[in-house]
Amino acid sequence: MKIISKRIFFDTFFNAYFCSLLYFLPLYYSSTGLDKNQYLQGSSILAFFLIFVAVGYATALGLFVFKINSLGSLLFEPYAKYQVGFKKVFWKYSLYLSVLGTLVASLIMTQASFIDLVDRDGLSGAIRLFSGIFNPNFDILPKAILAIIETIYIAFLATFIALPFAFLLSFLGAKNIMTHPTAFTVYALLRTFLNIVRSVEPLIWAIIFSVWVGIGPFAGMLALMLHSVASLTKQYSEIVECISEGPVEGIRATGASTLQTVLFGVVPQIVLPYISFTIYRWDINVRMATIIGLVGGGGIGTMLIQYQGQALWQEVGCIVVVIAVVVWVLDTSSAYIREAIK
Amino acid sequence: MQKEKIVINNLEMKFPNGVHALKGVSLKVFEGEFLAVIGLSGSGKSTLLRSINRLNTPTGGEIIYKDKNVLKAKGGDITKLRSNVAMIFQKFNLVGRHTVLSNVLMGALSRTSFLASLFGTFSKEDVEKAHEYLKLVGLSEKANTRADQLSGGQQQRVAIARTLMQNPDVLLADEPVASLDPALSHTIMDYLKKINQDLGITVLCNLHHLDLVRNYSDRAIALKDGNLVFEGSPNEINETWFKEIYGEEARQV
Repeated sequence: MKIISKRIFFDTFFNAYFCSLLYFLPLYYSSTGLDKNQYLQGSSILAFFLIFVAVGYATALGLFVFKINSLGSLLFEPYAKYQVGFKKVFWKYSLYLSVLGTLVASLIMTQASFIDLVDRDGLSGAIRLFSGIFNPNFDILPKAILAIIETIYIAFLATFIALPFAFLLSFLGAKNIMTHPTAFTVYALLRTFLNIVRSVEPLIWAIIFSVWVGIGPFAGMLALMLHSVASLTKQYSEIVECISEGPVEGIRATGASTLQTVLFGVVPQIVLPYISFTIYRWDINVRMATIIGLVGGGGIGTMLIQYQGQALWQEVGCIVVVIAVVVWVLDTSSAYIREAIK
Repeated sequence: MQKEKIVINNLEMKFPNGVHALKGVSLKVFEGEFLAVIGLSGSGKSTLLRSINRLNTPTGGEIIYKDKNVLKAKGGDITKLRSNVAMIFQKFNLVGRHTVLSNVLMGALSRTSFLASLFGTFSKEDVEKAHEYLKLVGLSEKANTRADQLSGGQQQRVAIARTLMQNPDVLLADEPVASLDPALSHTIMDYLKKINQDLGITVLCNLHHLDLVRNYSDRAIALKDGNLVFEGSPNEINETWFKEIYGEEARQV
């Protein structure tokens, strides 16, 4: 009997999660304010974790022994199980119940409240804000346009500098090129490293760089550049992985060197998708540069946060209009260009 | 007595996934002959051809070409070998986004430096030759058309012109007409025969249709489950041999 398998591993943690819901939800709901923290303190976290995992493992094993179709068996043992009745549909009940439990838990955690949404003071504040935004003060328009031009250039430079790096790295990150065992190690390391870089939001990178090189457009550019290298490399690599082997083999069979094979067999197949993804990245970077500006990355975002801080909603309205127009124009034109070069 | 061009001894190929594609195949290819290779799909025909120019690396045996064992070739030796032993494919394997002329010029890559190929500056003789070979396959007026705009038959002719650019002395043809309209098969086979006879290039050709084998080849070999089961004149393949090669249930078309 196999007591450790993908199925049991999955079921263990699924059941452990379900147990934690069953235990904590009633406690958490009935308690208020500060004493919510009492349930998870220091060493008790580990104790709770171990207990839940142990219970989860026991139930997973039980499901396995009694041949009940659990979620894990559905995912990892797809071959048919000829159970009937409750044993056959057990996974449905466990799925529905856990989604329901998670929904309840998330409602409690987010402190969702319909009362807050229609509260009189809050509503009047919102009305003030909206009436400001919808009556934009266009006196600051020249300043806003200058700021968004800065944002567009930040995004352009970030994309431009990222381009050659991503281009070279994309070949090292493509599985079909890195077939040699040593090459595969490089591939795996590079992919892992880039995944880590990519999983850190540009916002965090902007904070890091604003400490490093000082608050301003340069920090924002560096943050976007780093994120762009990681994202573009991944997208480029996927294009390289999707190329058809035929032309590559055709060139290789003529006696061409490896570099020539890449140049004539691979590059013609990837050039247009590369351009398409690069334009799209610039488009994304303009939008991201706006957000990064909020933490001091320069451009229109920085301007927005300044006016927002002083609750000057009419000026904020003008900035919002400028951002919306630029994003819309870029979005449409980049989509149009990408369609044209397909 | 004919001169031996390629001698294959006890060739073994076991792929990493466990498929045993060639189980000790031995044969001789003579200079200037048109050798047909027949057998069911999966019998090892492609593997055999792809071993000769080292698109595959066989796991045992030897292939003697120009007094050297092909299996021992490394780096530059392999590219030299591939430029001498040209290949055409079932799916033509052209670079679709490049022009027909550029595709033909790619046959000259092995004698062009990387920098020159980077800027697409092939030698004047090579460009002239490319035009000449395009004329030979009847596609002069298509020189500046994108390769993916051509029909299958035309693409295969471009592929033939590309191999001629290599100045090969052996041509491997891996099912060259399998993805073409049967009506076009004869055009392509005629070109291969012409190359074989006029230019004296030794041709090894994988084929499915026995009537093509009988019409075009000087000699035929048959593979079955990675073993050589027949070697002789195409006309010797009678009903008994046919059943032996293709199995009891097969019927000639």
